[in-house]
Amino acid sequence: MLGKGLKRKLEQEEENERKKMDPHQEVMPTFYCLQRQTVLTLSLSKLHSQPAHSDPGLVRRVLITNTLRHIQEELRVEAVLLPQSLATDIKDSFTSALAEIEDLCPAVEITSSLTNSHKFRQTEPVHESMESNMDSALFQFTPSLLDSAQSLFNHCPSLLADFSLDDFLFTEIDNLLFDNTPCSSSPSPSSGSSKVISMTFKSDLNELDHIMEVLVGS
Amino acid sequence: MAGLGGGGNDVQWCFSQVKGAIDDDVAEADIISTVEFNHSGELLATGDKGGRVVIFQQETENKSQPQYRSEYNVYSTFQSHEPEFDYLKSLEIEEKINKIRWLPQKNAAQFLLSTNDKTIKLWKISERDKRPEGYNLKEEDGRYRDATTITTLRVPVFRPMDLMVEASPRRVFANAHTYHINSISVNSDHETYLSADDLRINLWNQEITDRSFNIVDIKPANMEELTEVITAAEFHPHQCNTFVYSSSKGTIRLCDMRASALCDKHSKLFEEPEDPSNRSFFSEIISSISDVKFSHNGRYMMTRDYLSVKIWDINMENRPVETYQVHEYLRSKLCSLYENDCIFDKFECCWNGNDSVVMTGSYNNFFRMLDRTQRRDVTLEASRESCKPRQVLKPRRVCAGGKRKKDEISVDSLDFNKKILHTAWHPQDNIIAVATTNNLYIFQEKVN
Repeated sequence: MLGKGLKRKLEQEEENERKKMDPHQEVMPTFYCLQRQTVLTLSLSKLHSQPAHSDPGLVRRVLITNTLRHIQEELRVEAVLLPQSLATDIKDSFTSALAEIEDLCPAVEITSSLTNSHKFRQTEPVHESMESNMDSALFQFTPSLLDSAQSLFNHCPSLLADFSLDDFLFTEIDNLLFDNTPCSSSPSPSSGSSKVISMTFKSDLNELDHIMEVLVGS
Repeated sequence: MAGLGGGGNDVQWCFSQVKGAIDDDVAEADIISTVEFNHSGELLATGDKGGRVVIFQQETENKSQPQYRSEYNVYSTFQSHEPEFDYLKSLEIEEKINKIRWLPQKNAAQFLLSTNDKTIKLWKISERDKRPEGYNLKEEDGRYRDATTITTLRVPVFRPMDLMVEASPRRVFANAHTYHINSISVNSDHETYLSADDLRINLWNQEITDRSFNIVDIKPANMEELTEVITAAEFHPHQCNTFVYSSSKGTIRLCDMRASALCDKHSKLFEEPEDPSNRSFFSEIISSISDVKFSHNGRYMMTRDYLSVKIWDINMENRPVETYQVHEYLRSKLCSLYENDCIFDKFECCWNGNDSVVMTGSYNNFFRMLDRTQRRDVTLEASRESCKPRQVLKPRRVCAGGKRKKDEISVDSLDFNKKILHTAWHPQDNIIAVATTNNLYIFQEKVN
């Protein structure tokens, strides 16, 4: 079992570990997981770093969101197929992606509310080391979080309000395009947008649990 | 014989001219955003990020002499669009010219449509080479004469003056697009034109500015369900009822305006099934079509996606008739290109006069000529180093991996900031205009 503090060596070692755990389970290529993690993180950071003063490009936004959706769907499918222990790693990938985002945009305080007992390192830039991504994924969950994940998995809730990241991502688009966003009240355009984002996230934290259901549950 | 036969490889391309500043420090406003020849090829228009339009005119003297290299010189420069601020949404509207399209010439004046993200303008470009002189009531400088001093009458006469080219806005087509306009296309009926943004296409009469008809609307009732946007649109060159639009999912829809007023339902859907062996996280992004162009004869259309150019027969919907790889060596670099946003670059493409060769741009100031008849392709470079008059362009090669041969450049050495997004081909002759970031290169066929 992959525990905290265990320094990751060769990718091969991890593959061997996984094979030992469940020799009959098909092993996901690690490089694929790493790249998926990178793409997930990049996609989230791109969506959050749109400048507020100019019109957000819809094409770009749609393409990035679709890429995210695709990864989400993959993770969802994997969570169903893989054993419980690996499902938590999948949850890690999303959490660590959010952790990266928080480091990039300090106003976005998603992860601290979500994973209050986590210790995560100051992340280095994504492209610099894949290793830091994996290390930050080696979190220790509080028992309550694991339990809730487990119960979610077992219950297979029928209503997964197909709620996803898209819902408040596109709410943002509509906010920017159609509402009287009080940008003038903020000191600068960029901080104004992150304030809008953090307000959105804070108010929708319950929905983040739904995201976990999506990732971990069926 | 210029223009006929001669594909991209039989033709040797030579440097002719380069326009624009030399220094490496590029002013943002000078970034070229569109290039377009008019229908005769005599005029070449460029638009830039600063909202300006520059029109070059080809010198027509001595055209009969094959050795003569017709040069393009500045004919007119004007500010087409200004930056605006949408107070309701607290958003800036860029003045960048997204597209220029020429109207067919009807009289002495030239007309073109230029558009930024929100507003289309019809510009009249006319020449003035005479002016009236000898007014009775006014002096030559415009001051009124004292009426009591006038004792005789004369008829003013026109006298020649230095040629003056005037550009005046004749129509402004505004407030019809919520999203960013990506295309305009003039109809062969000489009366209407279309404008397309991310979610809607509108049909205009060239004379009427306060009204347009919405002919395509793909905006979902719930914006959260939005997964596909319109990326380009164009009228058929001869059938005034037919137009196509491409999408971010790699599909092209052909619509017939006779079928219904609202063309949400397509007449034809062109889509190639995905190659499962090439599937990656970026499959959808690289399938997004950045440009669609009908061939001159109207039988084919060409689409450009991130890595390839596809030629479609408009009578065959299930797959393209030809596919050309533009820079396949980038396929293994997609993650980095996603990170630095290059994967969202919108390359355009164009046909030569007789539809035998197509051209599109790439990175490192490379551009590609794809010969359809000879099934050959060549990579050329627009660079200040090949700027001697009549210097023949040498083919370039990119080394994807392994041992790099002499004269090859490795993928990792490519400069992704030097991108050729906009190119244009003279409608009859082998003259091409290639825009780098802030320079316009004109190349011509080598004449012996």
